[in-house]
Amino acid sequence: MPQLRDSSNQGPGNRTSRSPEYDSFHRIFGIETEYGVSVTGANQPCDPGQVAMMMFAPILSRSRSTNTYLENGSRLYLDVGSHPEYATAEARDPSAALTHDLAGEAIMRRLALGAQERLRKTHGEHAAIHLFKDNVDSAGHAFGCHENYLVRRYVSLPIIKAQLLPFLVTRQLFTGAGRVSENGFEITQRAAFLDEGVSSSTTRFRPMVNTRDEPHADPDEFRRLHVIIGDSNRSQWATKMKLATTHLVLCAIEDAAKRGIASGFECCALSDPSASNKAMSTDLSCSKPVMEVEDIDAFRAKQQEFGLKPSASGDEAHPQADTVTALEIQYLYFAIVSSFVESHHDGIKQSLPNTDCMDILNEWKTALDALSTKDFAALSNRVDWVAKYQLLGKIKERNPWLSPVQARQIDMNYHDIVNGSIYPSLVGHGLMETLVSDDAVEHAVENPPEDTRAALRGRFVHQALNSGATFTCDWTHLKTTAPIRHEVELIDPFAFEPDVDYQQLMESL
Amino acid sequence: MAQQFAQQQHRNEEPQSQGQQESQKTDKVQDQEDALDAVLDDISSTLETDAETYVSSFVQKGGE
Repeated sequence: MPQLRDSSNQGPGNRTSRSPEYDSFHRIFGIETEYGVSVTGANQPCDPGQVAMMMFAPILSRSRSTNTYLENGSRLYLDVGSHPEYATAEARDPSAALTHDLAGEAIMRRLALGAQERLRKTHGEHAAIHLFKDNVDSAGHAFGCHENYLVRRYVSLPIIKAQLLPFLVTRQLFTGAGRVSENGFEITQRAAFLDEGVSSSTTRFRPMVNTRDEPHADPDEFRRLHVIIGDSNRSQWATKMKLATTHLVLCAIEDAAKRGIASGFECCALSDPSASNKAMSTDLSCSKPVMEVEDIDAFRAKQQEFGLKPSASGDEAHPQADTVTALEIQYLYFAIVSSFVESHHDGIKQSLPNTDCMDILNEWKTALDALSTKDFAALSNRVDWVAKYQLLGKIKERNPWLSPVQARQIDMNYHDIVNGSIYPSLVGHGLMETLVSDDAVEHAVENPPEDTRAALRGRFVHQALNSGATFTCDWTHLKTTAPIRHEVELIDPFAFEPDVDYQQLMESL
Repeated sequence: MAQQFAQQQHRNEEPQSQGQQESQKTDKVQDQEDALDAVLDDISSTLETDAETYVSSFVQKGGE
């Protein structure tokens, strides 16, 4: 929960021109990932706080702080609860955001391996540091993977709640990371810990979408949508798909809000998003009508309009006529988005420099079809919860005596990016698809995306470190305090060309 | 539009007879089983470690 410089809602007031991206479908994407820390095999006690500080020792000596920005434009810091956190630099495309999230994994892994080497000198040669890219510890404390989307300001929060939340809850059918909980296996890591739909909290109560108003952009034009409901994914496909499909839904919502017309998603509004979220997470069949929509007649009418069949209505446990399945909601979103992309193809295409929107639609449809025919095996190489569930099933075949705590260990091992063996083995045996090459990840460890503000920040950090200047920065400011004082504001996240102020700052270094 | 996507089997571009598809599917399932066996062999040492300690070691305050 970073406390950043306040980006107030008061615009500069004297501007009349809009940024070129405002009237397009272009978007800025970012992913913030918190990691969990533990130690095993040590010959004396060692708590997560100590380990996190050991990990950040090289950062502390470089920046005199555990909160810093890197040469690749990202932010690296120790968050509340000693959670190492990595926020990717601003990206214009889901693929770029994925690559930078993987760069964050690589950076975290290196920091942990460095700390492990030092820890073994004092805590024995078997001491092992585990860094979990998941969302819950063993005592039920939750931590997050937050997605950020730059959204046009005219999309109101009530619209987000009614029209986006049903999508965010149900997309977990293919983006859920899976979790072995006290009550068995669940599709999502986080459903049990989210209690509100849309609010300003993050730690005391956890909403699905956070409303803190820090656009890190011109507040007259944009808000930054802060999505909390997502799981941390190991599957690269899942990370890319959650950003890409959410982008397409947001494009349709924005366009309707701009024109003052209906998007078609209104009928999906959920009566109780939190209850629906918990219910979908525990329905491993993905076919129970566990989602209660506010207006079932409108929902059925919209299904009919798009030629979608309602699934069999109700069963003994869910007899109400006003409930639908998570898949029905996803199919309706898919149908509306497909039709929207068809009629706005050029604009949507331009908004995604590295991703083909038709590929995203195909992948999305293929995943929904596999779920609806219960062909889960077809998804086990790219949907985290299916991969994990399938593996657990196979292990139980071989070891019928597998205990719940062993199942939980397997779950955790899947997310351990330092000493975990399961995920690398799945990738090694072709059971988990990867989309980004090691070289591309390595490049992103050192270099920011070239087509956003991050390019300017990254170059500034690089040059300031090389010149030995004393500097600070945040998402919208670059500042040197010695040898000379100089500050530049970068309010437009799409702008990657240096302006005169920036050039002067760089020349002073 | 939706129908159009349904017809594009994105990972399977050549048209095939149903028999061919079925036998390929069976082969694929067998390959997947073999690969899963190999994964289980890889991670057998993981299953031999003390799961109780591994799991209980991970207790940390909440974040976000």
